[in-house]
Amino acid sequence: MSSYVRYLLRRIGQFVLVVFIGVNIAFFITHATPIDPVEQTISATTSFGSTSPEAIALMRQSLRDLYGLQGGLAHQYLAFWKRVALADFGPSLSAFPTPVSVLIRRALPWTVGLLTTATLISWALGNLLGGLAGYHRNSRVLRAAGVLAMGFHPIPYYILAFVLLIVFGYVWPVLPITGGSQMNLPQRLDAAYVGSVLLHSILPLLSLVLVGIGGWFMGMRALVSNIVTEDYVAYAELGGVSPQRILRSYVMRNALVPQVTGLAMSVGGIFNGAIITEQVFGYPGIGSLLIDAVHAGDYSLVLGIGTVSIVAVATAVLMIDLLYPLLDPRARVG
Amino acid sequence: MWSVGRRAVLLGSVAASVPFGARAQEEINNLPRNQTLIAENPEGTIKNAGWFNIWAINAGGQSNGLHQLAMDTLWYIDPEQGIDGVWENSLAAEKPIYNADFSEMTVKLRRGIFWSDGVEFTADDVVYTIQTHLQNAGLRWSAPVQVNVAGVSAPDPTTVVFKLKKPNSRFHALFTVRWNAMWMMPKHVFEKAGDPGKFAFDPPVTLGAYKLHSYDTNGKWFIWERRADWQRTSLAKFGEPGPRYVTYIDPGPPDKRVILQMNHQLDVIHDTSPEGMFTLVKQAGKTSHGWFKSFPYAHPDPTLVAVILNDQNPLFQNRDVRWALALLIDMKAVAMASYRGAATISAIGVPPTGKYPQYYHKPMEAWLSGFEIDTGKRKIKPYDPTVGAQIANLLRATMGDQIPTDPALIAGAFGAGWWKPDAQAAAELLQRAGFAKRGDQWFTPDGKPFAIHIVVEGDLRPVMTRAGSMIAQGWRQFGIDASTVVAQGTMNDRRGAGDFEAMMAWSVETWGGHPDLSFFLDSWHSQFVAKAGETQTPRNWQRWSNPELDKIIEQIRTVGFDDPKGVELGLDYLKLVAREMPTIPLMAYNVFTVMDETYWTGYPDAVTAPYTDPVPNWGNTRYMMAKLRPRQ
Repeated sequence: MSSYVRYLLRRIGQFVLVVFIGVNIAFFITHATPIDPVEQTISATTSFGSTSPEAIALMRQSLRDLYGLQGGLAHQYLAFWKRVALADFGPSLSAFPTPVSVLIRRALPWTVGLLTTATLISWALGNLLGGLAGYHRNSRVLRAAGVLAMGFHPIPYYILAFVLLIVFGYVWPVLPITGGSQMNLPQRLDAAYVGSVLLHSILPLLSLVLVGIGGWFMGMRALVSNIVTEDYVAYAELGGVSPQRILRSYVMRNALVPQVTGLAMSVGGIFNGAIITEQVFGYPGIGSLLIDAVHAGDYSLVLGIGTVSIVAVATAVLMIDLLYPLLDPRARVG
Repeated sequence: MWSVGRRAVLLGSVAASVPFGARAQEEINNLPRNQTLIAENPEGTIKNAGWFNIWAINAGGQSNGLHQLAMDTLWYIDPEQGIDGVWENSLAAEKPIYNADFSEMTVKLRRGIFWSDGVEFTADDVVYTIQTHLQNAGLRWSAPVQVNVAGVSAPDPTTVVFKLKKPNSRFHALFTVRWNAMWMMPKHVFEKAGDPGKFAFDPPVTLGAYKLHSYDTNGKWFIWERRADWQRTSLAKFGEPGPRYVTYIDPGPPDKRVILQMNHQLDVIHDTSPEGMFTLVKQAGKTSHGWFKSFPYAHPDPTLVAVILNDQNPLFQNRDVRWALALLIDMKAVAMASYRGAATISAIGVPPTGKYPQYYHKPMEAWLSGFEIDTGKRKIKPYDPTVGAQIANLLRATMGDQIPTDPALIAGAFGAGWWKPDAQAAAELLQRAGFAKRGDQWFTPDGKPFAIHIVVEGDLRPVMTRAGSMIAQGWRQFGIDASTVVAQGTMNDRRGAGDFEAMMAWSVETWGGHPDLSFFLDSWHSQFVAKAGETQTPRNWQRWSNPELDKIIEQIRTVGFDDPKGVELGLDYLKLVAREMPTIPLMAYNVFTVMDETYWTGYPDAVTAPYTDPVPNWGNTRYMMAKLRPRQ
């Protein structure tokens, strides 16, 4: 058995362990919530209506039966793993009897679409500009770009989002500020719908990119600034290698290795959703679903989203661990 | 560099030359805006958008237009004055008919009402609705039906007879819309659908004047279209509903709602912050208005915000302590801190909204003015009938002409009187209760520091949170170690479990238009008070038991819904809670519903059109559709 296969098997074993521990923690944390889904449902049902106390007592019992909340924690724990093994998180308690998997499946594409695009654009632009700024330290244009990128970075996200909302939604209202697409537009893969989705994603995307780009920019500029002082770069310059080739093959390639790790972690985090973005721009996605589930004490849904997120992050880390030896010869297993 | 800079400037100039007000895309595809009303659904995003079976408990959205436009039931009571009186026979042809001991209720149904698929509505639908709830435990109204109904029958297509398990003079309330009520099911649809708890009912067959046009599978918007046969619905007696389309949307946070309305993309805001309301008045005052067209703008919902004291807590079992705490509240400061002055205050145990000032507040004024408290050292008259006017005067300095000067208008908008802050009397009451002050700090009779945590909801209900902070500040200045605790999403659980000392919440909700108090008061009977540590059923969150109150409630149960004796008993209740102060009443739950008249006229308002609660998630807002007319 080659060393890479042994490494592969060990990492897959670690992956399974991480997922198991993560999901268990998620189970116990969600079940430790002081929010009782039955009480939330009763409150939502009765807070406006006239319902007698005797009826509420009966309703409470019916809901416990309906939601399958009888039995102790151990009983629910075993039932949970039985369902997870069948890739079924059971019904949502706050949208009963709709399965959790249906709700996640409906919201996830929006989150993945928006955050993947935003992450990739931020990563690519931030690293490109950061790399150039670290290499061409005297360029006024790149210094100005640095000021802009770093200027947006410390602004609290929600403030930037609201500024964009006010500028493009009210002062100069040329962009839609709410929803994922135009209302009453049939959801089908045609130019009108795709165009509307793209148009509605501009503001949320722009807000994420503006705030996200600074971190990558600063990281890459620092890495490149260090690398350009390395002996092998100086040797290449003395040897007459063209500046473009030095930048591309000697500097950027080396600097990108830790940035790729960071990208993998960010891509894994995409499945957590972008709660504030979704709230501010009324954009569909998994973040709002999660918040709603937490408020409703819907631990089936919280666990479903949590499990998807845990598996996604663990998978991203696994992938990068498996690819790392291919990207960085120094990390190859011997 | 210069060329790049020049290009950027040029690009900027071109961009800036696009006229303000331009739209990248119309907000709704392929619907005429001037025939479409756009309202906020405060439920936000409906995660289970394709679910329209409202009888399955909390499975989908309710106020996405479903219960306002698609549903119908026997009766409605208007929270305000109503279009044609507060009582509305909807699917019923007349008021409920009870037998002598209230153990049987007969309903006469209206003829000529049809479901949206052309099937006629009959008594069979009512019977089916009841029997389905009797046979299935987990539906929204299963519990009240199973507790009350022994049997139901339909002797003919327009008559339904309910046999009750025990006398209940308020059984009809189950079918009487305040915010909602038990809606009627289409028998011909559900009897073929299998398990009624697992049937999505998409598209819904409606009994209301609208039918579903389209919806977002992500739950952001729902569009309803006026039925071609709207004449065959109960709303038809008020004429053709104005909007051809009604759209309910999730507009996002309060600031965004304001932006959307200033862009005329949201006709009815459900609620915004006081600051958002003031911004709209300032910047869009020609088109946007609230329930009051001048200050305080907001609609006072028939809900009484109060300091709910946990009366099972030994700290608050003595009436003197409860009264001392009330006398340490400066209502003017609370009104300013919470609603920036836009509050409608009430010193007594019902909200000053709808027709309640006429039913209760005005008749109580003389009694309140003469009402005395014995502090142990002296007698004081704690009521100040001018607090509402004082708040108006405070605001007049900055708001000028927006503040009314007519005393009647002031009382309607700001409320009448409240209790005078009286720290000396509070100290005397606490001393009589065995409390003592050492240094700057008050101590309980058993020698512990007198500390009170007021539970508030936090960001979920900022106005009440600000009120709680101001009250805690007042108590702290007096020497009580008071602070607020933010409960956020755990509020309902803590309230039910009695896990609080004091709480900013409400335990009083009324019909608004009808004086009967049983809507909330029946649940205050001591038979329903849970033991400490057990879950309390709504609404007696204060867990207060009182034999005198029990007698009042028992008498209300024996008189008819419209019996004038009910008002007399209501006044007895108000005098009792004024003496006992089980909760400290503060003000109505004012909702900053803002209506934009760019496309529509005929909205309800406090003076010229006091019908329905304009807050768009109320089932009653169907009447708004009947009155709205396109401006263009």
